[in-house]
Amino acid sequence: MKFKIALLIALAVLLQASLRILWPPLVYIDLPLIAVVYFALQRDMVQAVIIGTIAGLSTDALSGGILGAGGFSKTLVAYMIAGLTTRVVLDNPLVRIPVLAGAVGFDSLVYVLLHRLLSQPSSKPFAEVTSFKLIATTIIGTMIFYALDAFLSDRASQRRAFAFRRRSARRFSRRH
Amino acid sequence: MVVKRSQKETQQRAPFWLAALLVLNLVLMSVDARDEATKQRMIRVWAQTVVAPFEQVSSSVGGAGVGFFRNLANFRQAAVENGELKTRLAEAETRARDGQAAQIENERLKNLLNFRESSGYETIPAKVIARDASAWFDAVWINRGKGAGVELGMPVVTPEGIVGRVVALGPISAQIMLVTDERSGVGAIVGQLNQSNAFGSIRGLGDNGLLEMRFVPGTETIVKGDTVTTTGQDKIYPPGLTVGRVVEVKTDSANAPQVIHIQPGAPLQALEDVMVLRYRAPRNDAPEESLPNIDKGRR
Repeated sequence: MKFKIALLIALAVLLQASLRILWPPLVYIDLPLIAVVYFALQRDMVQAVIIGTIAGLSTDALSGGILGAGGFSKTLVAYMIAGLTTRVVLDNPLVRIPVLAGAVGFDSLVYVLLHRLLSQPSSKPFAEVTSFKLIATTIIGTMIFYALDAFLSDRASQRRAFAFRRRSARRFSRRH
Repeated sequence: MVVKRSQKETQQRAPFWLAALLVLNLVLMSVDARDEATKQRMIRVWAQTVVAPFEQVSSSVGGAGVGFFRNLANFRQAAVENGELKTRLAEAETRARDGQAAQIENERLKNLLNFRESSGYETIPAKVIARDASAWFDAVWINRGKGAGVELGMPVVTPEGIVGRVVALGPISAQIMLVTDERSGVGAIVGQLNQSNAFGSIRGLGDNGLLEMRFVPGTETIVKGDTVTTTGQDKIYPPGLTVGRVVEVKTDSANAPQVIHIQPGAPLQALEDVMVLRYRAPRNDAPEESLPNIDKGRR
């Protein structure tokens, strides 16, 4: 399983750097972020933050931005989503759409703010780039989630079953 | 697969992991933000060294894949519409397109060769194998590195104009900061050296892929379509290289400097073949005696 995760992250980062050559607008699909959000939804917080850091740093290493800014923002995104899954049911595919959209917006905001704080701002218009990223990443990400569910389904269904049993036990213990 | 720790234990450990990883990222950022292009970050070099061979393969396979599926759709459409004659016609058109593509590539490579011979500088031809993985910055990776003789700070050009400069270097690849990046800077002149006094400094605007030229004297007459060339004063680009063409001039008064927007000459959004110029600006070691008010007794 860990090998599958590593392979997926590596593939996402590699495609992120290569797809832009085929068609420049493809850069607005944030593949590493899609992978981070997917694994953050698997309810393992430690795994999620580690994946967020690795994916973010890998993207930074192949980008013109500050090394660590992407790692910082994706780690935060992973932690927040993983924490959210313990309180809200996010297994419904339709619920994942606003989660992914929110992750894109938050990731972009943190990334740009960090660069401005460290006096190395991007000259790209924030609203325009974030809008394109939000639309493209949400649409493609939703499709990728379906594919990943099929690819990693055993693990996902086991964790969902475990989380459901835990929630049920908690409700039972509160009532009694 | 057995879950080794309970969910509660995992959640309790998660904040500590978060804090540690965020601190790691902050440390990396502080180190990276302090260093400019003169000092390399080894993690960039290592990452690009590992990834570069895969990027070369994926960029060539991706281009072939897109062409294959486009041809497949055309073949299917011809078979539905007409039959064997239309299929032959589609095949002939495909060969013609391939021939045209080969001709275009041939022209591009010929222009590169002509530029190399006419420029007088030693050049290292290179192909763009990857673009910036982030949507916020403009950088490209080329398939030539230290092993091919590329050095930090070397200018990168095409026959149509300047592209950028080398800001990170690995053994088999290099990262180029494009001139459209806000952090880039070029010393330029509107017109040709010794024929114009419209000197200025260029930086990238980022938006719309344009460049901004500042500090051009308000007394100089600049019109749309004027050619902008490098002066060599930035110690990066040799003098006389094309930067682009003027597309907009903002003039306030004769006493205030003009602001000029320039369309880069090089096709920065569709870069394929570029050249790294093995150019080092001549050093001006002015003798101390030439400086005014120097304490000549202190020697």
